[in-house]
Amino acid sequence: MSEREYIIPIGPQHPALKEPENFLFKVDGEIVVDVEPRIGYNHRGIEKAMESRTYIQNLYIVERVCGICSNAHQTAYTQCVEEVLGMEIPERSKYIRVFVQELERIHSHLLWLGVAAHEIGFDTLFYYIWRDREVVMDLLEMVSGNRCNYAMPTIGGVRRDISKENFPMYHKMLDTLHERTLYYLGVCASEKTILERAAGVGVTSKADAIRLSAAGPTARASGVESDIRKDSPYLIYDEIPFKMYTETGGDVLSNVLVRVNETMEAAKICKWVLDNIPDGPIKEKFSPMSRVPEGEAVSLVEAQRGELIHYLQSRGENKPYRYKIRAPTLGNILTVIEKLKGGYIADIPIVLAGIDPCFSCTDRMVFVDEGKDRMWDMNGDQLRRYGIRWYEK
Amino acid sequence: MSNLAVTAIEVLIFPGILFLTSYALYCNWINRKFAARLQNRIGPLHTGWNGILQPFADVIKLLANEDITPASANKTLFLLTPIIIFALPLAALFVIPIQSLSNLWSYAPVAAFEGDLIVVLFLLTIMILFIFLGGWSSASRFGAVGAERAALMMIAYEIPLGLVAISPAIMAGSMSLNKIVEWEVSSFANFLAAPSLPGILLGVTLLIGAGIYVICLLAELEMRPFDISEAETEIVHGWQVEYSGKKLALLHLGHEFKLVLAAALLTSLFLGGPAGPWPIPPIVWFVAKTTVCVFILSNLSVLFARFRIDQMLSWAWKYLVPLAVLQVMAVIVLSGVI
Repeated sequence: MSEREYIIPIGPQHPALKEPENFLFKVDGEIVVDVEPRIGYNHRGIEKAMESRTYIQNLYIVERVCGICSNAHQTAYTQCVEEVLGMEIPERSKYIRVFVQELERIHSHLLWLGVAAHEIGFDTLFYYIWRDREVVMDLLEMVSGNRCNYAMPTIGGVRRDISKENFPMYHKMLDTLHERTLYYLGVCASEKTILERAAGVGVTSKADAIRLSAAGPTARASGVESDIRKDSPYLIYDEIPFKMYTETGGDVLSNVLVRVNETMEAAKICKWVLDNIPDGPIKEKFSPMSRVPEGEAVSLVEAQRGELIHYLQSRGENKPYRYKIRAPTLGNILTVIEKLKGGYIADIPIVLAGIDPCFSCTDRMVFVDEGKDRMWDMNGDQLRRYGIRWYEK
Repeated sequence: MSNLAVTAIEVLIFPGILFLTSYALYCNWINRKFAARLQNRIGPLHTGWNGILQPFADVIKLLANEDITPASANKTLFLLTPIIIFALPLAALFVIPIQSLSNLWSYAPVAAFEGDLIVVLFLLTIMILFIFLGGWSSASRFGAVGAERAALMMIAYEIPLGLVAISPAIMAGSMSLNKIVEWEVSSFANFLAAPSLPGILLGVTLLIGAGIYVICLLAELEMRPFDISEAETEIVHGWQVEYSGKKLALLHLGHEFKLVLAAALLTSLFLGGPAGPWPIPPIVWFVAKTTVCVFILSNLSVLFARFRIDQMLSWAWKYLVPLAVLQVMAVIVLSGVI
């Protein structure tokens, strides 16, 4: 390290990060020279916990992997189990799952847009967006009874039905959301200080996005046409007419435009679902202590942040033998390094927030001794003692 | 009453330290409440009527907080900075004409002398120097970045701030704020009696000057879009990051005095100071005009996203400085005509 350079630690506690994670920035004056992401501050051992609980109990654990994409995780989990069971779920429940999933996408993207505005110091926009986000939160509450962690999908269908009497009200609320999002699209694409801070900042080229396995909106902002809803449709996404938005810039502004357009598209999908939903039962029977036959399954879901992969291996018991989750942020986190090299310190928060990171879904940890080529893990007690020893040194 | 007693009352109570402190807290409340309403929030609500005592409560709470000095900080500078940042704007406020104690319908500054405008401008510059030293001495990496940014920002806005402040002084032919206010009052009365084209041109030029001045004041006050040196989401409050407890309380109070000073300077240089139609006393005019100035400042601060430091510097040198120079030149030309 030269004399002019020094290291700025961002996180584990920093106002720009909503979850604990550590990034070490080597800077020269205001210019970032190098970035080193260090994940593992929020590891909760969810996969291990799932292996010691029954399938129905796991429904509620998997939902709590992430507060914002709870429904995406639950959908992926139920799809895995249903595939191993060989269960075909009722048509109506597929529509309801899509409805909740797209509402969740609206709420997540609006939340992200507000946070992005806050990161560049535009608090007014942040407050306005979060005020309008309350509409979709209310809508989710009406549909599921909760503002987050909706607990809608269950193995064999969905837990709650949506009532036809409320459809006009849902339509009206979705119209409001569409109209407000259109307004914010105008603001983001024309307000000069936003353009100054977002256009050409944190660029990832298409080749880099593919090489670093970027997922979801981050990849689409770089011009990679990847959307699980189109590439390998699940539920009823092959029947729904919707458009996939891509941008070519790969910068923060492209990220904003892709997400805002997706929000409006999600509102349209919700309206389509309300118009086309068939009548019928909403779930198949699955008793809490049922055993699941031997087998394995992988399920892909397009969560708000990108491709979400769940893997289930069953050995014929009432608990999974092995469960594995790969959240989209793990794919996106590497692009941050490329995006920030050569950028300004001032751009760190917006570029970091630009990939819509969700660190606690991503976190995994293992101890590696590179010199001895050894890998091991620690339990809670060992970790605590290790931490105390580390600080005493 | 002896002369000494009057001076003591003027310095300590009205329009001195007590009045200015409560007025600074009031301005802070106005700023917070107004910005909150613009952003569709409520703002302070529970402490006193509509939360009017909230800034006061914040200061009291900070005074009671634990005061930590980082082990590797430069102790002397670290201690000195909050005191100086608290004292300087307060000192500068004493040359602003507010209200005379002896006559209800006249105004006079507590301490006035020929050239006090220069002193105010000097104090504004020294404040930034101490912000830099304070950030640097805290031995924090965020503090160092914030300090560096504060110094860079000063390079950008200091020159237009000084130039524009001089233009009313050129017209008044005096460097004393009190005389500038007197000139404004008399020339405005003359203009109303006999409107003329040069008069209108001068008014427009001074209005442009006031606009430039407002922009520079936003930077001086570290308000959006120029809160670059304390950018919360980027460098965690920059140069203030290591301050806590009593020192932070002093910094906050100093910032509130600075807000009053900015509004009072804007009022004195461009809006005719505390003067206004009889029978309303000057103090009421002063409060009304400075409140409007705070409204303007807080309104502008919620409209934009934060600039990056390089954008701010290039923007200020490309547009703000030339505009300020042109404005002063126009004023000099017009002063020859009138």
